[in-house]
Amino acid sequence: MKNRFLFPYWCRYLGWALVIGHVPLSMLGRSYGMINIMDAQPTNGGPFSGEHLFFICTSLVMTTGLFLVAFAKEKMEDEQIWQVRLDSLRWAIYINYIVLIASLVFIEDVAHILELNLWVPLIFFIIRFRWIIFRLNSSLSKEDK
Amino acid sequence: MKNNIRVERAIKNITQADLAEAVSVSRQTINTIESNKYVPSTVLALKIAKVFGKPLEEVFMLEEGD
Repeated sequence: MKNRFLFPYWCRYLGWALVIGHVPLSMLGRSYGMINIMDAQPTNGGPFSGEHLFFICTSLVMTTGLFLVAFAKEKMEDEQIWQVRLDSLRWAIYINYIVLIASLVFIEDVAHILELNLWVPLIFFIIRFRWIIFRLNSSLSKEDK
Repeated sequence: MKNNIRVERAIKNITQADLAEAVSVSRQTINTIESNKYVPSTVLALKIAKVFGKPLEEVFMLEEGD
């Protein structure tokens, strides 16, 4: 099975490191008053001011991390994993659009919607994909008993 | 789609892991095919039949509703 457009297996660990590393970075930013962590929005200052750059960097680190985790190869890539991946992606897109439409209707804060849109598909994809793989593995260990 | 993989494996005396290695997929995949939870691609089905040295129809068969 040829799987193009996937990152090597080790990228998953790099991805988690970036996601986890993003937390103290944001905390640091908050303690210096650069960003408001609750909404991770650039505060005062125009584009490419310190606040804005910090916001871009932390968001970028988090998104890159999630992206690497989501699209790194599994140890054993086969057609079933490929199908689970596609299926999870489809669900992630469904959920993303449901959340997006609901937030467009019920929330007036457009900046937050963008923020939400940045995380929701990737996070949901990762959760769903890992959950299915976990279930496959546990059905295998049940068989072994 | 039904299959006889479990029976054929017993005849050939190979484990799920052996079969998985022979057709370069994970053990989970063989396991889900055996328990009819996953329908393999034509390529994989042909590869599995080849391991058992039998025609495809003897390993995989359609069931009612397919």
